[in-house]
Amino acid sequence: MIMLQHGSTQLICLTASSGVPLFTRGGSKQLPFSVIGSLNGVHMFGGGQGVVLSCCETEGGGKVVWRVFQDSVMLIAVSGGEQGGACSSKEEQVRLQRLLENVWSCMVLVLGQDELTNVRNVERLKRDLRSCFSLIDQLLEERQEGIMGNLTYCADSLLPPNPTLLQEAVDGFAQAADSEFSCLIVHGRIAAATEKWWRLAPQEVVLLSALLRSFSAAGSASCDYPVFLPQGSPTVAHRLLRFQLLPGADVCVLCGPTPSLHRAESGLVGRFWTPLVETLRDCLAVGERCLPGSVSLRPDVLALLLINRETRRSVSCVRTSTNHLLGDPLLPSKARCWELLKLFYIFSTTRYFTQEEILCALPEERAQRGNTEDFVLGFSHQPLQCYLVTEECKSYGLQTPQHQLFLLIPLSVPTFALRTVATQTLSDIVAATGF
Amino acid sequence: MASANVRKCTEKSLCRGQTEEDDAEQEHDSDCESTSSSFNSSDYSNDLEPEWLDDIQKNGELFYLELSEGEEEAALAHAANQGVATNHVRFSEKEAEVITEENKKQRCSSWTKGEPPLKRLARILRRKRRPSQRRVGGKDGGKDNSTLSSPPASILKNQPGQRQGVMVQQQQLKEVCVYLNPKRLGGSSTPLSDSGGLLEALLGVVHRPSWSRGQADSAGVRQEERLTVHGLIPNSPAIKCGQILIGDVLVAVDDVDVASENIERVLSCIPGPTQVRLTLETVAQVDRSNASDTSSVHRTKASPPVSQLVRLLWGEDTAELQMSIRHIPHIVMYLSLKLDSASPQDEEEILYKYPVSEASGQLKGVRGIFLTLSDMLENVTGGRILSSSLLLGNQLVHVGYWKQSNNLLVIGLPADRVPLLYLQTVVGDVVRTLKVMYGSLDSAFCKADHAPRLDHFFCLFFQQLIQPSRLRDGSSAPTPDVSGTLFLDGLPAVQWLTLPPEIKMEVDTVLSDFESSDFGEMSEDFFGLRRLYVILGSCLFYKSYLIANHLPKDDLLDVCLYCQHYCLLPLASEQRVGQLVIWREVFPQQRAKGSSTAPGYSQPQGRHFLLIVGLRHFMQCVLLEAGGAASTALGSPGPDCVYVDQVKATLLQLEVLEAGIEERLNAPSAPCLSCADWFLPAATARDRLDSLASSSPVFSKIAGAVKGSSTGNRGRSLFGEKARRSSPQRSLSDSGSEGQMDAGSGSGSSMAPGLSPHSTPDSGRKLGGRRDSLGSGGSDGSGGSGGLFKIPRMKHPNPFYLGTLKKTLTERETEEMYNTMKLTSGAENTLFHYVLMETVQGIFIAPTNREVAQLSGSIHPQLIRNFHHCCLSIRAAFQQSLPARGRRAADRPQGAGWGLGPVKEHGVLFQCKPENWTDQRKPAPTMTYWVIGRMLLEPVPQEFYVCFHDSVAEVPVEMAFRLSFGLAF
Repeated sequence: MIMLQHGSTQLICLTASSGVPLFTRGGSKQLPFSVIGSLNGVHMFGGGQGVVLSCCETEGGGKVVWRVFQDSVMLIAVSGGEQGGACSSKEEQVRLQRLLENVWSCMVLVLGQDELTNVRNVERLKRDLRSCFSLIDQLLEERQEGIMGNLTYCADSLLPPNPTLLQEAVDGFAQAADSEFSCLIVHGRIAAATEKWWRLAPQEVVLLSALLRSFSAAGSASCDYPVFLPQGSPTVAHRLLRFQLLPGADVCVLCGPTPSLHRAESGLVGRFWTPLVETLRDCLAVGERCLPGSVSLRPDVLALLLINRETRRSVSCVRTSTNHLLGDPLLPSKARCWELLKLFYIFSTTRYFTQEEILCALPEERAQRGNTEDFVLGFSHQPLQCYLVTEECKSYGLQTPQHQLFLLIPLSVPTFALRTVATQTLSDIVAATGF
Repeated sequence: MASANVRKCTEKSLCRGQTEEDDAEQEHDSDCESTSSSFNSSDYSNDLEPEWLDDIQKNGELFYLELSEGEEEAALAHAANQGVATNHVRFSEKEAEVITEENKKQRCSSWTKGEPPLKRLARILRRKRRPSQRRVGGKDGGKDNSTLSSPPASILKNQPGQRQGVMVQQQQLKEVCVYLNPKRLGGSSTPLSDSGGLLEALLGVVHRPSWSRGQADSAGVRQEERLTVHGLIPNSPAIKCGQILIGDVLVAVDDVDVASENIERVLSCIPGPTQVRLTLETVAQVDRSNASDTSSVHRTKASPPVSQLVRLLWGEDTAELQMSIRHIPHIVMYLSLKLDSASPQDEEEILYKYPVSEASGQLKGVRGIFLTLSDMLENVTGGRILSSSLLLGNQLVHVGYWKQSNNLLVIGLPADRVPLLYLQTVVGDVVRTLKVMYGSLDSAFCKADHAPRLDHFFCLFFQQLIQPSRLRDGSSAPTPDVSGTLFLDGLPAVQWLTLPPEIKMEVDTVLSDFESSDFGEMSEDFFGLRRLYVILGSCLFYKSYLIANHLPKDDLLDVCLYCQHYCLLPLASEQRVGQLVIWREVFPQQRAKGSSTAPGYSQPQGRHFLLIVGLRHFMQCVLLEAGGAASTALGSPGPDCVYVDQVKATLLQLEVLEAGIEERLNAPSAPCLSCADWFLPAATARDRLDSLASSSPVFSKIAGAVKGSSTGNRGRSLFGEKARRSSPQRSLSDSGSEGQMDAGSGSGSSMAPGLSPHSTPDSGRKLGGRRDSLGSGGSDGSGGSGGLFKIPRMKHPNPFYLGTLKKTLTERETEEMYNTMKLTSGAENTLFHYVLMETVQGIFIAPTNREVAQLSGSIHPQLIRNFHHCCLSIRAAFQQSLPARGRRAADRPQGAGWGLGPVKEHGVLFQCKPENWTDQRKPAPTMTYWVIGRMLLEPVPQEFYVCFHDSVAEVPVEMAFRLSFGLAF
């Protein structure tokens, strides 16, 4: 009898001190309470003995990851692994660790840190937490293809064909709304944002994008939503105003008590964005490719993820098989490409490339994450590039002081050409867009 | 030799008969081809019994290790190194130690030069030979260090007569530990000193019996002559220890009372190199400071003269080693999942645990976590638990699990030593080793009397993982880095040394002869008896490299795991084994499973025994079967002398081949290797490298290569490996090419005004090597491996696919490749390191330690460390995709959770910079290199790891994969 289905992930949230379950998400069937209790119990027992349990792996790639946040909330992620044990466990572990961090941040984002750390009424907290569920489910299910921010902590971006126009509009809009934080989201990716928006912690930018995506998916034309910034202001809420400009294109602004939603919607949105409708349509036309038409990707790039390490932005795209070699049946499907890209990203970053956010993380967090980075530190020389040839495709990753690029390339391309493809792709994109 | 023995014996009538027998045996030993001498030891059991006989355990097991004559020197180098290089916690007086090391060395050389031979005398007085010495120490560990403490009461009681009269002064007893090695006496030809006997020869104490000091002095009390120290022999153990003073009286050796009558007998009973405790009566003297001084000297003396590893194998001294890692959390526990509530005891669920330390105590404290998780997670995720990660303070610990029926093996290791990626391999290997040794985990852990042995087992295990340098320091081989050890030991394979065919054939013939069990009149057949054992096969190691294997792969791996665990391979490579005899029952995994696939054939249900005999650099492992075709083994039989002798004879027979093997070891590596430092101009910036050809050895080599190619074959013959090792006559003999050579290097140096003096020979040398490879590349097909893998033909053949290699490469291809290589900057040899594992045969080849050492360089060792670390990752990627293989693509679940899929090839590009780059103006020069691993399934499963410079064109890389090992076409 197996309680958790293969391939599914269940998230369990409990109060750290008393072990009261707050919620469980994911998985077709909730784990029996005895299991939840034991999972929490072993961690608590270890804590009493000065031993912090952080993760566990079983045959077939099953994983359990524990994490206590702010001594108040315990999050446990259980993943069912894979039949036949093909899953790469280390990648899965990193994914789950990211998931827990994101879930916690998202709880703070919605409820504020105070309410989570000083629990007076557990029942009320349970009720309040329901408002996070849609966001948590989004993180858990990774419903939207092509969003890598949860993993990379780099804002998924879309490079518009004419960025200056949009940038001016966003800046003007933010100023008019008496704020410094504003951004334009197209297809769930940031097309333009104010300077200050980029100054937010990368994880906050990622989460705000996720939040906006969930609003957008709900289909409302505008909304006014209080948010706490997990790192910037975990205890004081700001207002997040969001307006739909076109289907798929939203603008948002993070502001104080003024302006009211109504005033902003009626006065400001029209004034700044109506003249730009055509530009926005161009932007939407970029679609999931994320790169403007001026960038001509080599035909032998199946998928790419490009990260700017300084600005913490990323661009990613997967070629649909229609425009690539007429749907060669041997090529992995689009969904599989996204998955491979994610896995290859984790593979490369856990083993070879350093991850910035580990360096900026708090010391105690770094310790908790320790097991993901220990291997990287073992190298006496610095890894620059790496590639992987699997049965489905070839993957290539390279790192420069400013960028990280991850590519999927069809098997038909000879291995010795991979490096050329990668360096050329990088220079093409950087030259064309200045990313 | 014999005469010396006889002389010695005439002095000691008691020993005479014995020694002659010994001599006979000795002759028999050396005269190994004739197996005709005395039949077996049972006839003459008292006289001919081998040295190891005493060490056989009750259960028949034997682990006898004796260091060779040259060992002492090595050991001393060791000890010296320890003082300087390692954190010797207890022995802080470095100076004292260093000084004594020097003394030791002198003495050692004098020993080896001039000491008389003395075959170890058989033991008439079989003194207890500290049983703990072979077996687990633990309790014994403190013994050596507590030597200056109060004298044992027993001696005071037993020596009442000694104190009467003669000495007026206040008497005091002191204890001194010295290291004695009777083996060392055997090597040289000088006869024993006339009167001193072993006392002088072995200990270095000169005692003149009163009658010899002059008749007038003779006191007439002949019996009960006290052993007064009248002099000390320079560089002897006695003088070296600094505590035996002239005038002292030797009272006891290891608590055995001695006087002039029995001292020779007592000393002759010292069977092998060991530390003995002398009790001396001395005049009460010494002021405080002096006392402390001697005590400090003494304590340094007590420090192990032999390597930690050997001491550990002997079972001594585990305590100190264990102490030094006690702060590092590590543990092994065998826990029972079945709770028997009827007999409540403390910690009854712990069937076994090791070690006992604070950090491990913490892990022991949370065993509830391990038990709970292992029980629960199986139901939750449907798989057994493999590992968990814990934080102890800020130390990350990975815990590996192995569940066997109702019990759970838990091994905790610090994450910085064993990456999670490789934890499973480590745990799997331990489990397999234990199963090979004991049959199953339950039988290993659940018997109470196994505990000390397991302690020893796991002490070795943890020491190797946590402080390998401490264990092996001072060895001639470079101490392997942790990653390297992990990677190479983790490979299901043994390092193989390719040998020239004629040597290989001889080795195989000798082994086959042995395996035929045709022992002539020694064999059971001769007496019409049923065989005791059937020899299933054997494998032969030379200096830690496997040179012949007649065992099935699984058995080889089992045997090899055992050898690896007990560090036997590095031991043999360090010229440290005088004699090694290991005997134990083993449970080969493949045979235990009994899964024979051939119909009509079933594995005989026999018991298996492993016999390992080592002599100097050779080590032969023999797998024997009792039952089945041979007679059934009853009880726990010990090693059979005949079989041991036969293996010894085989090894002695093989010793003639040693020169040939050594030559192979000394030869330049078969795939030519480059040193990383050659590619990194020490003081020149990158741009200069391009403009000034010769300042970079790489570039000059290219220049040389182009020229060399014009001379074609001539270049090869001239600047082959021999030229590389500078053979002036040869190069002078051919003036044409010589001129070329000169021109090459000459122009190089003239073009490089800023060339550092030491880089010239380098480039010259490289030039030679380079030409060689290119020349062969142009000349024929097999040499077409060219710059990447130069294989000197016929001499050191590739073990695998030289044949196919020749066939598959057409002339045109060769030419093509040759051209490509000439066109690219990769024309010169850019290969740094490689490992090729052949899964079917269970062997791998890699550059030998010596080959690596020849390259020297400062960055190169770093690079190899990095290479190994990267290989851990690459191999882990291969491993995790293995189970997935074989499933058809259609069966794969679409969408989430499937992982990256089977990995065929994986490469990482690294960049290195010289350390301590001080030049502020220029950026440090960099060198980039690839580490690439490839897994091949066809035609035979292989894993291949290479490390080469980035400048090589990628096509040759592809070619190299195929070429060097002739695959993947």
